[in-house]
Amino acid sequence: MSFLAPWFLALGAAVVVPLLIHLLRRRIGLQVDFPAARYLARAERDHSRTMRMRNLLLMLLRVVTVLLLAMAAARPTARLAGAGHAPTALAIVLDNSMSTSVVEDGAPLLARLKDMASDVLASATPEDRVWIVTADGVVRGGGVSAMREELQRIRPLAGSGAVHDAVARALATVEASGLEARHVAVLTDGQRTEWKSPVQTRGESPVLVWAPDESPPLNRAVIAAESRPARWTPRGAVAARALSQDSITYRMGLGDRTLARGTIAPGEEAIVRAAPSERGWTGGVIEIEPDELVADNIRHFALWIGPAPSVTVTPGAGIFARNAIDVLRSTERVADGVGIQVASADEAGTLPALLFPPQDAVRLGAANRVLERLGVPWRYGPARREAALAHGEHLRDVAVSLRYQLVPHGVPDSDTLAMVGREPWIVAGTGYVLVGSPLAPAATSLPITAGFLPWFGDAIASRLNAEPGAVRYALPGQRVPRPAGVEAIESGTGNRTMLSGSAFDAPTVAGVYFMVRGARRVGALVVNPESDESRLERWPAAELGARIVTAGARVVRRRDEWVRDAFAGVARRSMVFPLLLALLLVLAAETLAAAGSARVQP
Amino acid sequence: MEFADYRPYQSGDDLRFVDWKIAARMDRWVVRQFEEETNLRATIVLDVSKSMAWSGAQLRPLGTSVPSGRLTKLAYAEILTASLALLLLRQRDAVGIVRFDERVRSAVPPRARKGHWRRVLAALEEPGAGLASSAPAALAQAARLISRRGMIVLITDLLMDPGEVERAMRGLRATGHDITVLHVMDPAERSLGGTGEALFVDPESSLRVPASVADVRAAYRRTVEDVIEEWRNMFASVGVSYETIMTDQAFGVPLRRAFAARQRLP
Repeated sequence: MSFLAPWFLALGAAVVVPLLIHLLRRRIGLQVDFPAARYLARAERDHSRTMRMRNLLLMLLRVVTVLLLAMAAARPTARLAGAGHAPTALAIVLDNSMSTSVVEDGAPLLARLKDMASDVLASATPEDRVWIVTADGVVRGGGVSAMREELQRIRPLAGSGAVHDAVARALATVEASGLEARHVAVLTDGQRTEWKSPVQTRGESPVLVWAPDESPPLNRAVIAAESRPARWTPRGAVAARALSQDSITYRMGLGDRTLARGTIAPGEEAIVRAAPSERGWTGGVIEIEPDELVADNIRHFALWIGPAPSVTVTPGAGIFARNAIDVLRSTERVADGVGIQVASADEAGTLPALLFPPQDAVRLGAANRVLERLGVPWRYGPARREAALAHGEHLRDVAVSLRYQLVPHGVPDSDTLAMVGREPWIVAGTGYVLVGSPLAPAATSLPITAGFLPWFGDAIASRLNAEPGAVRYALPGQRVPRPAGVEAIESGTGNRTMLSGSAFDAPTVAGVYFMVRGARRVGALVVNPESDESRLERWPAAELGARIVTAGARVVRRRDEWVRDAFAGVARRSMVFPLLLALLLVLAAETLAAAGSARVQP
Repeated sequence: MEFADYRPYQSGDDLRFVDWKIAARMDRWVVRQFEEETNLRATIVLDVSKSMAWSGAQLRPLGTSVPSGRLTKLAYAEILTASLALLLLRQRDAVGIVRFDERVRSAVPPRARKGHWRRVLAALEEPGAGLASSAPAALAQAARLISRRGMIVLITDLLMDPGEVERAMRGLRATGHDITVLHVMDPAERSLGGTGEALFVDPESSLRVPASVADVRAAYRRTVEDVIEEWRNMFASVGVSYETIMTDQAFGVPLRRAFAARQRLP
């Protein structure tokens, strides 16, 4: 037992009052004549044992009364049964991930979770400190009424969020509260994919988890939608996958119109080929019939549609560049012409150009002079001949044995597409892509890797095209690097969000967002939920509890138990009411004992 | 019993002694008196000890709600004595009085003549109220005053030694006297009232008992009832009538009880 106002225990010293009254009661000042005093003496003699017992009982009851009063004033709390609860720091982790928007028993699961959280708020006292932490990690705090309003404003996320982080943040919040009683109460759907890895925290506060006991409904979802390639010239394809127990029909929309309808079998990829008439950056959807979880019945993709860029290859670019262009030309992704140059840097005449260092080191100076003339803010530096691995966009573990250091010249506004160690290996800016190694197996394995052709085509299409830009895929709220020159993102309805810094948070609502520079669209950001978020299978209670590694986690399945224990489960309860009740009983006993001798009045 | 005289009928007279012939002839109700009846000799033995000069009003410091006009036990007993003597004298019974505390204070022999009641009243006005009570001596004195068998009425608060009282009673009963004891009590003596604590002092024996009224009230009440029961049993065992009289009762009550005892006599 501990006390919230321990200094009131000093009132306990008042027990000396009944003790002194008991001990000093025979020092009497009043004297009266009473002829029947002999009867009084006989009464005391005959009933001395009873009277002594009653006096002792009265004294004890009065001492206990004073002690109970002092203890109640000190506001004790204890890990015992009691009424109400001690002032508690309570963080309610409300899992509002997309999967909680599933409709069960006629209402979204999230509505049930919010109702439960609201019930707990109803039992909060002004001395409690309560926070609501949602799956996106946002912590909301304030008074109970403000928290209720906040609760009503909470909407399901477009993705899974990060419940692990939310629990850790909730634990950190309550442990920084300064209150002795701390508790984290989690409301979740117990989704297997969401609680895949255990929550590891060093928090010492108990965690109470509620998850539904019922099996989730069978879910159908579009779990993949991708345009291949991202830039259609103007022919391309959209690949889609669905989560379902059986074949389901889908609709593919492009812009505002339906491009195709079809059927997807479980586990198979549906590919729709098309050569639409639209031009420029546009968004599309793969959509299936609505079910209990509507948020994943639609999945977005983006693409650019336009004519194939015209490309010329200089002799110094090498055989691999020529072969790659031939392949792209055969698939209508490039065309012959003077638009884009694929060239050794010393041979380049104009931008846009995909530039490689000359295979003869003697031409390096000439190459740098060309770069200067073209306005490319990079120069080739000293040769590096150590073996290393390069990593970058579309590139993995590309061996590099010869490269020229890329040295910035001025303040380049460029993106680094690949790096070797900590140094840039491929950079891109307005109208140029600059590679640090000659396109030859003696210098790098790039031309002989499987990723070469996609990278090569993407570099031409996304970076050097007259309408440059790429498609980026992100999860809701995910941190995304800002491409060079992109000033804002624009939603499908035309709302713009200005960007600053080197990275930005992807929108929390699924959809297609266009990257814009000035008035031009220069790429697209596609926001879709995690495909795993559509898998609604839930952990059994015991396994879910085992996945929260903290001082003590308890999973309950009954709603009223969770609501009751959200505060009371802290186990430290206020003992004021039981003490006052005991005090009342003691006073009643004292009154009865005293009245036993006072019943007879003349 | 031989006829002696007529006297006017009084309420309470036995209808067996009404002379119906005179009633029919003269339209007057008279009762016949007999020789033996006129020879009853009664002595009223009155306790005037200090304990009798007390009323419950003296417990007011303890918060009792005793009316200020309540008579002391002695005042009540004196009025009772005078009334009883007058009634007996009107029946032409001889009445005497003995007042005692630790010794006999005054004694008036039983007489039935006119003006005797004034002698009784004069005796009641004599000073008394010594310290303790000594009933045996007073009873012996009363027995000496009544040479023949007669009636003795002892009016006292019985705050005395029961053993001595019992021995005296047995002696008087052995000589053929009929005895009635009127035990006078203040209601505050029977049930201890008020609250708080006090030192209770017996004015006769200077016994001092410190007590909390609330603590001892129930025990005291039981003890007093036990004492009354003990007195009642003792008096019954020796053939003595016993009545408790409360000083807040109307005087008719003790008078009726005393006369009931008188009527039982021949």
